[in-house]
Amino acid sequence: MTTSTASATDAHEHAPGEGHGHEGHHHGPAFLAHHFDTPEQQLDSAKLGMWVFLVTEVLMFGGLFAAFILFKSFDTKVFILAHEHLNKVQGGTNTVVLLTSSLTMALAVRSSALGKRAATTNYLLATIACAGIFLVVKYFEYSHKIHDGLLPGDFFANPELPRSAHVFFSLYFMMTGLHGIHVVIGMGLISWVLWRNLRGDFSPEYYTAVDIVGLYWHLVDLIWIYLFPLLYLIG
Amino acid sequence: MATDPTAVPRHPDDPHTHDPEAHAIAHHVDPLWLYLAVFGALIVLTVVTVAASYVDFGRANTVIAVLIATTKALFVAVYFMHLRHDRRFNALVFVSGLFFLSFLFLFTLADTSTRNDVDDYHGKSTAEPQAAPTSQPSASPASH
Repeated sequence: MTTSTASATDAHEHAPGEGHGHEGHHHGPAFLAHHFDTPEQQLDSAKLGMWVFLVTEVLMFGGLFAAFILFKSFDTKVFILAHEHLNKVQGGTNTVVLLTSSLTMALAVRSSALGKRAATTNYLLATIACAGIFLVVKYFEYSHKIHDGLLPGDFFANPELPRSAHVFFSLYFMMTGLHGIHVVIGMGLISWVLWRNLRGDFSPEYYTAVDIVGLYWHLVDLIWIYLFPLLYLIG
Repeated sequence: MATDPTAVPRHPDDPHTHDPEAHAIAHHVDPLWLYLAVFGALIVLTVVTVAASYVDFGRANTVIAVLIATTKALFVAVYFMHLRHDRRFNALVFVSGLFFLSFLFLFTLADTSTRNDVDDYHGKSTAEPQAAPTSQPSASPASH
């Protein structure tokens, strides 16, 4: 066993056609970082790292969800009155927009895997456009809240609702705001992947960045899937 | 770094591809119709959850909304995030996060949802504090 492993390593160190004149004894395809043995190992590490990061994201938002449930249990009637000031149509529209962006992102990853560079570009552009639409709808929602004085803490100035409703809007702005920041960061990441795709970095053998950014974008969608009913729908 | 198509092709007997499963994971591509079907299901579930919000199911409102959201989340995680083709360990990492998050919810709710059930001083249920105070004196000595 030991000898066969050694000979395999040896063969691969000196494999003809590999290396491409890279520095020293760097081996394997160009996208393979020198601290990985194989493309599979590199991909596995990238994916595992991303999933661990996504778990930290889930835990961060999870804390806010727990806070929301806690404060709602303290002041349920006011929370129900306050949630009626959110616009279900705008929230629903944004849900459909985000789900669409998730589809286009998934299709961008798929096109990358198939080596269809132009299609990947189009799907990534569509995803960025959906993210933009989401933020525009969010802008109108926030403007409306600000106009009606539906604001956190001391800024709360709505005459129709009890004063304690400011707690609901603190959580509303914290949760949707943090989610909105994730959407903005996502737009940046997708733009970066788009640029790399246009540059020709990706091939069916290597499209890890598209894959990983896709995972991030789907998580942003996944969090909204819970935010929408929790804030807008449950009375 | 420009793409170099010659950089990548690997033979099945290439020492890099000693793990056949890894090869399958990296290159598995689902058909287009599957993505569209999942998207359709997600839209239908969104319509259902919005429609359900106009009907009052009482305490079941939250349960229905969370169940629908979880169904949608599963569709996204399993199909869009490719968990079904991914290494099982990644799914385990994700589920373990949700598992520990459930402790946060469980213990928080176990506290707040039962906080008023027992009166510290009298050891009696105060679950209905709004009950007319005039009727209580006659009932309380008998029950405890």
